[in-house]
Amino acid sequence: MSEKESSCPEWEDVEKKDYRGIWVLGDIHGGRISEASLQMLTPAKELATKLDVDVTGVILGSKISKVAREMFYHGADRSILVDEPSLGTYFPEIYASVMAQLAKRFKPELILIAGTMRCREMAPCIANILRVGITADCTGFDVDSESRDVLQIRPPFGAIMLASIRTPFRRPQIATARPNVFPLPKRDEGKMGKIIRAEVDVPKPRGRLVNSQSLGLGRVLLEKADCIVSAGKGIGGPEGIGLLEELASQLGGVVAGSRKAVDAGWLPADRQIGQTGKTVKPILYIAVGISGSAQHVFGIREAKSVMAINTDSEAPIFKYADYGVVGDYRDIVPALIEEIKRTKLSRPNQLAGMEGMTQRK
Amino acid sequence: MQILVGIKWVPNTSNVRFDPKTGALIREGVPSIVNPHDLDAVEFALDLRDRYGGEVNALSMAPPSAIEGLEQVLGMGVDSAILVSDRIYGGADTLATSYVLAHAVKRISNQRGKLDLVIFGQETIDSSTAHIAAQTASWLDLPYLYYVRSVEIKENGFIAVERWLEDEKTIYDLPLPAVLGVAMKSREPRPVRLIYKIRAKAEKPIEIVTNEILKLNPNCVGLKGSPTWVSKIDYTPEVKRKREVFMDPDAGKAAKWLMQKYADEDINLIGGAHR
Ligand SMILES: Cc1cc2nc3c(=O)[nH]c(=O)nc-3n(C[C@H](O)[C@H](O)[C@H](O)COP(=O)(O)OP(=O)(O)OC[C@H]3O[C@@H](n4cnc5c(N)ncnc54)[C@H](O)[C@@H]3O)c2cc1C
Ligand SMILES: Nc1ncnc2c1ncn2[C@@H]1O[C@H](COP(=O)(O)O)[C@@H](O)[C@H]1O
Repeated sequence: MSEKESSCPEWEDVEKKDYRGIWVLGDIHGGRISEASLQMLTPAKELATKLDVDVTGVILGSKISKVAREMFYHGADRSILVDEPSLGTYFPEIYASVMAQLAKRFKPELILIAGTMRCREMAPCIANILRVGITADCTGFDVDSESRDVLQIRPPFGAIMLASIRTPFRRPQIATARPNVFPLPKRDEGKMGKIIRAEVDVPKPRGRLVNSQSLGLGRVLLEKADCIVSAGKGIGGPEGIGLLEELASQLGGVVAGSRKAVDAGWLPADRQIGQTGKTVKPILYIAVGISGSAQHVFGIREAKSVMAINTDSEAPIFKYADYGVVGDYRDIVPALIEEIKRTKLSRPNQLAGMEGMTQRK
Repeated sequence: MQILVGIKWVPNTSNVRFDPKTGALIREGVPSIVNPHDLDAVEFALDLRDRYGGEVNALSMAPPSAIEGLEQVLGMGVDSAILVSDRIYGGADTLATSYVLAHAVKRISNQRGKLDLVIFGQETIDSSTAHIAAQTASWLDLPYLYYVRSVEIKENGFIAVERWLEDEKTIYDLPLPAVLGVAMKSREPRPVRLIYKIRAKAEKPIEIVTNEILKLNPNCVGLKGSPTWVSKIDYTPEVKRKREVFMDPDAGKAAKWLMQKYADEDINLIGGAHR
């Protein structure tokens, strides 16, 4: 490949050296910032050290100035704030336009964006307005010290391989990562930073928000669950889910599954774990009747401990598990439930007032 | 309704292998399929046509082998199909791909005199970026929404679009034309019917659009038009796990073993005194 950029008239040449600093876009909804976007401060800070630059949190919305603090508490050096009533209703192309205007004005070299649903929707549009590249679902970053290019590492074609993606000629670089791929930085309420209020032209919305309704309040979010009991094709049918639900409720956990379990219709699509589903970080992940494909285990890399129950002693899942039991889940799971109940009975006072049962000491 | 659906012809990634030396994808012997999530998009479009009338056309940028995929969706009842194919479009990242697709959409829209909806799948199984719908919408300067589950036509050229995010369900009214990404697994794609396939073959051959027709600047397409470069490929590093396996067929013993293991760990299985 030649080292010279071909010139497409759709974009102007950029001076790479004019672009400095790392941005993290805040994913804000209902006046709160998502944990997923704060998690992006982790790679941002690592890269900022390597590149010797600052980390800026970017916050867009209406009446959201308080949110800027969360960015500081989690490690941002400064925040750019666009607080406009007209941003009260989210439209992907409008938020993208605002981000693009800011990027043109302040020229960051890298924008990191969480892979929440809203952000996955707006991020490619930001890249497009700026005529730059974007790399989705990164799992790691590095810097090529010579060129200052950020190496954006992501799995191409299934989760077995990782590709390094570079953007040698365009700036800013833009990358997203799924929730829970990076840990949340420690929160420190002592940290402060500078807030830069920016004015932008907010484009007029072309549609209107007619109705919004929260989905299943009180539902434990998979991304936040401490214990996940996960069903694979091996549970054999929807009737197996009930048994797993019982185990999950004993452990204060939730039920999820592999793609095959979802494809079979035993679980809704938003319960799928893995490369094309969710990335989770429970304390305990229990894989029941799951073979352990690369795409599946990709989603549980951040689990603290993995337990596996499978009839096949050769199943790859045992390589990805801390504790495995070879056997039919129809025998093992009820025995485990029994054992948990018995232990609870023998130590009742420890359990007083406890709901969530799986926890870090 | 004039509807266009974007279809990607993807290697059936469950069979994909890599050359362990070079890290390159081995494409030989790997059959391609229509990206499964695009079948949801096709179903979505056909359902709209069934309810409101009009036409559904399929559009794919791909090598000529994708004709097979387009024939499949014609078999589902799509009215016509367009294959955008040229060597210089190869190696494109999502910016360069969406650039070509957007120009193809414009051309189709001009030909038909009208285009109401451009519908995409949520993401592809080979790259799963979910970029193309937003980027195509952006090149065309059209409003767009992802994760769409249903559409109703309203008066004055608006549609009501329902979509679900992690935590909320929203309904937006959007003016036509608009671009939609259909929620994964939100539909049951209808089966292919041989009669449709045969009729489509006889009456509406798949139109092939090359760059001689689209006349795009070669520097804006394919590898040259792509800001991102793949610089190297490695194996995913493995997470270290303990890999202790209990083999005794006695379930009671197995359960006790597990409980003991977690009692020894700093993980408290049954909850307790430590928070
Ligand atoms: C691009 C791409 C993306 C993908 N993304 C994902 C993803 O995000 N998530 C995902 O999960 N998959 C994903 N897949 C699919 C993945 O490759 C596997 O096909 C899938 O994970 C297998 O699901 P499974 O383990 O439930 O089923 P199987 O592989 O069929 O395994 C079933 C297991 O159950 C065991 N078993 C059978 N009976 C019992 C019993 N009575 N008790 C205990 N064990 C029993 C069997 O020994 C076997 O190991 C993806 C594939 C591709 C190509
Ligand atoms: N080459 C292509 N030709 C037509 N449509 C495409 C192409 N690539 C992607 N799409 C569409 O864009 C959607 C999202 O793809 P992606 O951004 O690659 O995950 C797919 O589900 C398709 O509907």
